[in-house]
Amino acid sequence: MAHTIFLTDEEKRLLDGGDGLVAQKCMQYLVEVCQVSGAERLIDLDGTGDFHSPMTSMAAHYEFPIEELEKIVAQGAHFKIPTFANKAPFYAQAPIHGWEKCNLCAQQDPAQCQSDPEFHKIAMRDEWYELYRKMGMLTSHSCANYMHATYLPTIGQHCSWNESSAVPYCNAVLGARSNIDGSFATCYLGKAAYYDMHITENRYATVLVKTERLIKSDIEWDVFGFAVGEDAGVHVPVLTGTGKPTTTQFMKLNSAMNTGGAVRMYHIPGSTPEAPTLEAALGGKQPKRETMVGERELKKAYDTLNYRTGDDVDMVYLGCPHLTVVDLMLLARKLEGKKLRIPLWIMTAPWLYEVARSQGYLKIYEDAGAHVLTGTCLAAMGAVPDGVKRLAVDSAKQSYYITGCYPDDDNRLEVCYGTTDDCIDSAVTGKWRGEWR
Amino acid sequence: MRKIRINGRGEFPGVVEAEALVSVKPLEGFTNCNPNRGCTTERNHPLFKVPYTGKVLVYPSPRGSGGFMSYGVGDKKPAAFIHTEGCPLSVACAMVARIPSMTDFEIDPLSVIETGDLVLVNADEGYIEITKRD
Repeated sequence: MAHTIFLTDEEKRLLDGGDGLVAQKCMQYLVEVCQVSGAERLIDLDGTGDFHSPMTSMAAHYEFPIEELEKIVAQGAHFKIPTFANKAPFYAQAPIHGWEKCNLCAQQDPAQCQSDPEFHKIAMRDEWYELYRKMGMLTSHSCANYMHATYLPTIGQHCSWNESSAVPYCNAVLGARSNIDGSFATCYLGKAAYYDMHITENRYATVLVKTERLIKSDIEWDVFGFAVGEDAGVHVPVLTGTGKPTTTQFMKLNSAMNTGGAVRMYHIPGSTPEAPTLEAALGGKQPKRETMVGERELKKAYDTLNYRTGDDVDMVYLGCPHLTVVDLMLLARKLEGKKLRIPLWIMTAPWLYEVARSQGYLKIYEDAGAHVLTGTCLAAMGAVPDGVKRLAVDSAKQSYYITGCYPDDDNRLEVCYGTTDDCIDSAVTGKWRGEWR
Repeated sequence: MRKIRINGRGEFPGVVEAEALVSVKPLEGFTNCNPNRGCTTERNHPLFKVPYTGKVLVYPSPRGSGGFMSYGVGDKKPAAFIHTEGCPLSVACAMVARIPSMTDFEIDPLSVIETGDLVLVNADEGYIEITKRD
């Protein structure tokens, strides 16, 4: 049943091993992506990339050992496109900063305690990143590289990103083009399978989403995003009747839509670049489906994101996706002069840690009793600190994923979900008082 | 025994016959899939903690993060994947799992297959054959 895949002479040469084992493995991987996805050719990337590192492939079948990487680095190999590291080094996901007080064990494995200096050293995987940096990798270690990279792809550029909350920023907000396929192979060869969001026709909206309330606050965008994701699934929605999202709200919308569903691309007429009008978003066609994400659906999503039987909170977690510099500033303003009763962890990108210090935010957080970490998150580490049975968060994504780490009745984790202010209130009082308004 | 054949597109090649486990709700990976136990751990999901190991896992579409590929990791994985619709999440999952995977059917397989049905997945020739339980 295999379909024909058209390769250039150069691509055939790589596939035949003409440029060595690493390039051959990468080409074999890309050809298989074409076979599985139905793509008929590869596209040359001219944008940016990121991948989950240090693995040379998420598919073990295509991994190669560090010795092979050393060989090509010695020969002067570079990534073909600007390439960023997505999140902390896998699989331990150790915090880059703040690990000393990160009193939990990765994947709840006692052999992987994040605050253990010996474990931290191993978990940083420096031997790999020394090589990757020689190849040009920018070791930004964030799920929200687009906020911290200081370098973004432009409209129409083909990219290869690998973060579900980030890919819609690339497609919908920037107007660049990416599937969730960032890998060593795509970044090293500067090529990706030409399908899904690389193709203009697939980027038009097919689902028209209406709403009854003007979506305008951070939590409204987050809850709306989760509800839209559940409704739209893998299809491209056009969102109507909303306000114009801020940058923080785009991040919430994107991460929530890709938790409730698999929305790689969407349009907001008047806000996103491929939707100057509703008609343009739909590509001049009628939508295949219209749907209402109204008061009932929003309340249902809010209730889904709350998963609790009581009001006592053990810990608060903020920073999914990683907080921006403006988020950090606003949080410092909210925390200044407060004294927290329970642990509050704040997660941001490693490249913002020194910025937060020089701006004075770290001191404000520490004086209040909060703790800053970078590069990772609770869900990625697969654990919360021992004794935490009820966690408060302001992120639909973190709410919906963290409980999956604790599925058993004798070790269940509950989640309170609400606004950032609800979370800070619970950090001060130890009680949850948030509700849907 | 009633048999029904549906044509579709083979994603990852191979032929296997096994019992179906049907998820009426889209599946989500990352922390909401536990590959060591071979089950979904998504709260509210109809298949919460129901083992998929060795089954033909039938689902409407993938959702969530790139960690969807967890469904294809390790030796507790399903025997095959059948899904109505896909996206790059299901592509990566098939490549990690390296088990027969199919999509793009002429009719929605979820309208025919029920949990417990025997399903022959022929991803080489592009069809599935369902033997109903009755």
